[in-house]
Amino acid sequence: MSRLLSRYAAALLWVAALGLCSSAGAEVVNNKPFAVAKVALQLSDGSPAAQTLVLNVANTLIKHYGVDKVDVEIVAFGPGLRLLFKQNANKNRISSLVGDGVRFSACAATVHGMTKKLGHPPMLNPDAKVVSGGVVRLIELRKAGYTIIRP
Amino acid sequence: MSYWKRAALAAACAASLFAMNQVQAADWLMLQGTEPADASARAKVWGFIQAQYQKDYSKPCEYAPCTGQYIPPMLIGPDLTSQSAFNVIRARIGVRGTGMPLDNRVNYFFLAEFGNNGITHPGNAFAKVTDASITLSYIKGARIRAGLFKTPGSEESFQGIATFQYNNFTEVTNQMLLERFPNHDGADNQNLFKPAQGGVLGANQNGFKNSVSAVRDVGVEVFDSFLIGGWDHSYAVMIGNGNGLNFSDNNSNKDVYAYWSSEKVYGGKGPFRQGWKFFGWYQTGKRQLDRTNDNIYNPETHTRTRYGIGTEYLKKPWRVTAEYMRGRGMIFVGPDKPSFDQNGTSAPGGDGADGRAEGWYVEGGWFIPRTNWELDLRYDYYNRLKGDKLESHWKTVTLGAQYHLNKKTRVSLNYAIRRVNSPNFSGPGPGGNPNNLMDQIGNRVSLQLTHIF
Repeated sequence: MSRLLSRYAAALLWVAALGLCSSAGAEVVNNKPFAVAKVALQLSDGSPAAQTLVLNVANTLIKHYGVDKVDVEIVAFGPGLRLLFKQNANKNRISSLVGDGVRFSACAATVHGMTKKLGHPPMLNPDAKVVSGGVVRLIELRKAGYTIIRP
Repeated sequence: MSYWKRAALAAACAASLFAMNQVQAADWLMLQGTEPADASARAKVWGFIQAQYQKDYSKPCEYAPCTGQYIPPMLIGPDLTSQSAFNVIRARIGVRGTGMPLDNRVNYFFLAEFGNNGITHPGNAFAKVTDASITLSYIKGARIRAGLFKTPGSEESFQGIATFQYNNFTEVTNQMLLERFPNHDGADNQNLFKPAQGGVLGANQNGFKNSVSAVRDVGVEVFDSFLIGGWDHSYAVMIGNGNGLNFSDNNSNKDVYAYWSSEKVYGGKGPFRQGWKFFGWYQTGKRQLDRTNDNIYNPETHTRTRYGIGTEYLKKPWRVTAEYMRGRGMIFVGPDKPSFDQNGTSAPGGDGADGRAEGWYVEGGWFIPRTNWELDLRYDYYNRLKGDKLESHWKTVTLGAQYHLNKKTRVSLNYAIRRVNSPNFSGPGPGGNPNNLMDQIGNRVSLQLTHIF
């Protein structure tokens, strides 16, 4: 019983920490001042094909506009959050896109829900930034002039 | 120098030249036993269909006492009733994935066979489960797979059959690795060997009650793969029933399997990953066999051991594979009765239960640049019952051409030039002589359409 409680306490601490992080993650950072296109890619589908597609789209944008001319953020929530799990099979592609300036946002609400299902918090890709809610993040990005695309 | 020796030498030289340049190989342990981490479906439906036409050009025995008779290599399997046939040799559908997508530490693999082959033909099965396994990846470096699945072994038998480059296995794989399980009563299949003609049924040469092993077993395997400095090292240790596709064991003895491979990875992924792989494997177990044709089940225990080494190089446009394998015990010498020593009145004889065998092959492929064509060439050799008076040598050169309609569909045309003989007997002539039949084994052409979905 005590072990169960300690697990949930750890999970709550983890979510609280995520919440702290999310306040910073919620800001729309303009780290590409010369970008002529700003795109937010929504990933809420957990299928392998959806994961591949959203990475392909980000790659296509980078290739078309050039690294400095396009600002891309991938927002993952719901089943789509699996893309940002630490051991995800696409981690090398994610790392490569991060090198090109693509940002990855992970939904804290989804992390919280998955923690309940798993019994422990999922290990996330260190390149992912936790935001309070994936859908909230998309609204903020929309307000900041981003085009929202769900591949 | 004979034609066969020249062909083998040419193939070996070609292999060594290719090996100096490039090649491909895949990590079958991981491909079959695991799913992509956090990127797999809950249930991915998949499968493949292979429709085939084969024609055999062998001729029946010309001398008494076997005049007019055929032996199985002269007929088209699994029915063994004619020398030409259309067949849906494989039609498999399965589902695989991660039952709980959030937890990539557990995955499963299920596959069933609906085609007409050695898996389904025995017992006229409508379908047969060929794979049903669960993999647990909780311990780093020691994944655990349990259930029914392919046993780690030779590249030819271990690879995904849908990506196999030829329409038929080499003789060493077909005869030495694809295990047949004899019936408890050894009284079946003593009819004359003839194809069906004029409404008269042919020989009942395929009366096995149990499926061919399909190089699978029910058991537990510990395995994993490690990428170190551009090399992919993998290992597997397994214990199983040693009873093929049958879900339960038929004796208290267990088979042990060991496998290792190291591959220099050049790039790509999945079954078409390019690299240069080296591998070795070993399997051993016990079998019980009733060798007396008296309708009483009084089995003896025999040891069955198989082992081999090999290499595969794949880097487009070239592919080269070479394997050497040996076997001891339970050497299959034909479906007569069926037994492993064939000492019945209509059988050629030879002690397969405790016999020895060895074989090897070299094969290469060339993907013609900027086309969808691929050319294949294979030489395989099999020495059955090595050291026995009834030792026989099987030499086959297979010429192949494949046209890839798309990434999932291809047409394969093979022409196999076959030569078989028993070296301890004179050439064909009057009187009892296995070469009266073996010398009549001829060439074979096959056309196969494969679609993976």
